[in-house]
Amino acid sequence: MTMFLRAGSMVVAALLATLCFANEKSEPNPALSPYWDPIKQLAFGDRVINPDERDVIRVYLNVRADDASTVPVVVKAQIEQTDREFIKAIYVIVERNPSPMAGVFHFTPESGRAQVETRLRFEDYSFVRAVAEMNDGKLYMAQRWVKAAGGCSAPNGKKLSESLLGKMKLRFDDETITYHKPNLVQLMIRHPNESPLAANFDAAQIPQFVRSVKVTYDGKPVMQAEVDFSLSDNPNFRFFFTPEEKGLLNIEVEDTHDRKFSHSITISEGIPLPGG
Amino acid sequence: MIVDLPVRQVAPGNFVHYGSFEERSPQNLGDNANIGFIVGSKCVMAVDTGGSFAVGRALRQAIRRVTPLPVCYVILTHVHPDHFFGAAAFVADHPQFIAHKNYPAQLAARSRSYRNSLQRDLGEAAAGSEIIPPTVLVAERLQIDLGGRTVIVRAWPPAHTDDDLTVFDELSRTMWFSDLLFVRHTPVVDGTITGFVAVMKELRALEFDHYVPGHGPDDLPWPQPLDAQLRYLTVILDETRAAIRNRKTIQQATDEVGLSEAGHWVAFELFHRRNVTAAYAELEWE
Repeated sequence: MTMFLRAGSMVVAALLATLCFANEKSEPNPALSPYWDPIKQLAFGDRVINPDERDVIRVYLNVRADDASTVPVVVKAQIEQTDREFIKAIYVIVERNPSPMAGVFHFTPESGRAQVETRLRFEDYSFVRAVAEMNDGKLYMAQRWVKAAGGCSAPNGKKLSESLLGKMKLRFDDETITYHKPNLVQLMIRHPNESPLAANFDAAQIPQFVRSVKVTYDGKPVMQAEVDFSLSDNPNFRFFFTPEEKGLLNIEVEDTHDRKFSHSITISEGIPLPGG
Repeated sequence: MIVDLPVRQVAPGNFVHYGSFEERSPQNLGDNANIGFIVGSKCVMAVDTGGSFAVGRALRQAIRRVTPLPVCYVILTHVHPDHFFGAAAFVADHPQFIAHKNYPAQLAARSRSYRNSLQRDLGEAAAGSEIIPPTVLVAERLQIDLGGRTVIVRAWPPAHTDDDLTVFDELSRTMWFSDLLFVRHTPVVDGTITGFVAVMKELRALEFDHYVPGHGPDDLPWPQPLDAQLRYLTVILDETRAAIRNRKTIQQATDEVGLSEAGHWVAFELFHRRNVTAAYAELEWE
């Protein structure tokens, strides 16, 4: 899938270069967007994407983004994860970014809820699209229009000291864990998540950005994602996991320079959870 | 086309044009920041050039109405497009373009998106606007003689951006703060909020007779505008830290933090949530 993210990104960037910027100030019709067809073809080929009449998935964010470098987005499943029917992947796409596929997030029935929150960069006003892939292969899509990138707001340009690279932090919404129910956790990764699109970027270099994140609990998958430089610097994820008993929450992160970072924390009733 | 860019002589030899608080548009041509110039006996120094070529050209004409002396220096006070997109209007004068040592890296990372958004917001009115790279970088402090008038350019640690310069005219004791000081207009944090607060405490110790903010008028007696901005930033700092301590999300923080400040600032709805977003992303690592 990482191969797809890479190869797909380049082709789409080439396609975009041939389109003139429409520069709409008001929300365009998502069905008529010239940006979407080439992305859809690359990512999903001829598969049918159902208009989401079933309300399988929703995208939450502010129409007027506050900071183009840090736009929080929430993608929420509206259906339960069951063994019979579940969302196995959520694709998050920033249609007008040079590399539109921001991330592919994989879920299982044990995920509890198919939901992910992250922070995105925006190069321009754009639709954010979320496509849910069901266990039977059906696809459902929702989207929101976002006005970002105005004024002095810029998608790139923050810096990070190298010594902090790969440092991780976990924050929990609750102070203690509750077994047998979905618990929300935030994963923070110190990483510049470089965009190769900066004007000073040497084309011979491989830009350094986080490309995969694997979260397990006692060895079982919780959340797995392939991601891209459409994510903000210091990539940030919020997701659910459902512990049945005491165990180890483990994070494995890999970047485009093949560096591996890991972090883990023991989860148990009675042990206070970090977060404040 | 700006026919006659109004400037006011705030102190002998120091001329300021006050930009509009509106969002930039084809009508205002990106004339949204305070810009101006300082005139010595040999040379003129422009302090920022405005948000488009049209504004830069109008500033150059305003200089010509005052003096025939050459424009030897153009200060690029920081990396924001409302301050620098008029620089192309001065290229033919072959001035030194002076910026902070951190400016080139930030400019490179942002230039593509700044060009696109200028085009989107101004359309044809953006014509001629270009990004001009600096020719002189300042690491700490640079002293410039304009002829009978010494100007001190000072580079600050990360605050409003990570490449803020101030300009001080020693003769008239005029301090040009650029965007280290917003008056009435909501302050903007694009560098670091902790750094901005620390730098403001240093600004408090400076001595001068006249001040020029980056946005807004100079009608409040000193140090009122500085105290107002410090209060705003401290409220965001304290309340965002509290939100993080109380396990609130970035969305909850942007909905709740700093609302007591809403009545005090122009364009609050455009910039306040952005400031809280940036503050949260910085402070959650503390």
